[in-house]
Amino acid sequence: MNIEHFLNNSVMSWMAFEGKYADIVMSTRIRLARNLTGYRFPLSFSENEALQVDKAVSAVLLDEEAELETTFSYIDIKGLSTLNRQVLVEKHLISPKLANSEINGSVLLSDNEAVSVMINEEDHIRIQCIFPGLQLQEAWRQANNIDDILEKQLPYAFDEQFGYLTSCPTNTGTGLRSSVMMHLPALTMTNQMNRIVSVISRLGLVVRGIYGEGSKALGNIYQVSNQTTLGKSEEDILTDLQSITEQIIEKEREARLALMNTRENALKDRLYRSLGVLTHARLLSTEEAGRCLSDVRLGIDLGLIKNINVSILNECMIFMQPGFLQKYADTSLQPEERDEFRAKMFRERLQVKNNIDDEGEETHDV
Amino acid sequence: MICENCKQRPTKVTVTEIQNGEHVQRHYCEECAKEFHPFHLNFEQDPLSLHQLLSNWFGITENKQQEQKRQPQTVTCSSCEWTFRQFINKGKFGCASCYESFREQLPDVFSKLHNGNVKHVGKIPGAFGQTLHLKKQIESLRTLMRTAIGIENFEEAARLRDEVYALEKQLESGGENHDEH
Ligand SMILES: [Zn+2]
Ligand SMILES: [Zn+2]
Repeated sequence: MNIEHFLNNSVMSWMAFEGKYADIVMSTRIRLARNLTGYRFPLSFSENEALQVDKAVSAVLLDEEAELETTFSYIDIKGLSTLNRQVLVEKHLISPKLANSEINGSVLLSDNEAVSVMINEEDHIRIQCIFPGLQLQEAWRQANNIDDILEKQLPYAFDEQFGYLTSCPTNTGTGLRSSVMMHLPALTMTNQMNRIVSVISRLGLVVRGIYGEGSKALGNIYQVSNQTTLGKSEEDILTDLQSITEQIIEKEREARLALMNTRENALKDRLYRSLGVLTHARLLSTEEAGRCLSDVRLGIDLGLIKNINVSILNECMIFMQPGFLQKYADTSLQPEERDEFRAKMFRERLQVKNNIDDEGEETHDV
Repeated sequence: MICENCKQRPTKVTVTEIQNGEHVQRHYCEECAKEFHPFHLNFEQDPLSLHQLLSNWFGITENKQQEQKRQPQTVTCSSCEWTFRQFINKGKFGCASCYESFREQLPDVFSKLHNGNVKHVGKIPGAFGQTLHLKKQIESLRTLMRTAIGIENFEEAARLRDEVYALEKQLESGGENHDEH
């Protein structure tokens, strides 16, 4: 598939509003780190080693289409402009580390963009699968299948005691990082996140959020992932994350219900105002757009806002980032111009959807 | 102070990231802070101050006297030529052989990073699974052989030795002939 397809397309398979608990869990991600024996890690290897690793790994993935059940496209990172690299980062298809890399790195992308295999990032191989909603087992099965196919043809660096040998000691063992991205507006509004974060961190898991001014995470988005990779099997790692995630979902649902019961009018006012901002503003900063997106999303979940599709919001989330905006505008934009363009993009996207609804193509009447 | 991102404009905004309940502050200029994307959490970010945790713990930066007493820091990996000290400073291994070179020191490091765990219990690549199986078979045959010698059943011991020999050959041809001490 042409590289332009991946660069211009803002709709990705994980954005579909599906999978269990899709109202709270936005996406599930599985990553496996692997290295080949006989070549030093990317931090210390030579240009020649980089080339050989790249060739060996990509050859397997490009040859084994039938077994992999998907077709991969090979993208050489060196051949991409800075802006195009940024777009792939914004789509979570490559890491910032690979984007900034000076060495021979590449990425293999599945047609639906659910699977990406990075070559010569921090490790020789990084297998990543992203699924919509909470689907840890499904995402693991796919990553594990790709791993099985690779290990049949490539000599992995593995040790009886330490497991899969990785460049960072925090990945040693299973090399597995599993993670769920959650939208937790009610827990954030009711100031419960700090307590939850501190409890979870004691269980060998990490919660990350990005905080602007004040104590609320931008966009109310949190990522929960496993921290430990040694001494725990893959199954146990996934089971633990699953159970923690379900508990957080339960708490978020309770908090939403409590807000609706006690502050219904204030809540409604806030959510509809945000919808107004997204559909009418002429300048939108990342922070404001993030906050409003969160509100509108909550409005949809609560059944208050009816004629907007969540997958459009997911798409806007990716689209509103600087690299994507500039790609779309087909020119470089100053920060001020980006706010203008971002506002325009929101008006267009949300408007388009409204029209479709008016034509009765998709109705949300209860 | 200058913006951590563009390293050009003066800082105006402090962004606090929370990881594991600990706050990490980052300072950005107005322009860069605006671009801080709420949906773009860095998935591959290392845990908070991994390098600092390791180096403090190994007393590298703080305690110079202790440093001289500890020898592991001068152990060098023959393949990538990193020393143990370099590994601690960077918080990364240079190559897979580092694990072999620093094997004695590693349980302490891993225990710190993985809630006290030092041994892999997860998936095993197929090729290694076979190797492990062969190794275990050889070990048990050797035990039987020693018992046979103990009771002076030398014919049986010789037969067992032949079996061990055959399995060892198989192990070698398997190509995964690693770390047999
Ligand atoms: Zn700046
Ligand atoms: Zn090494």
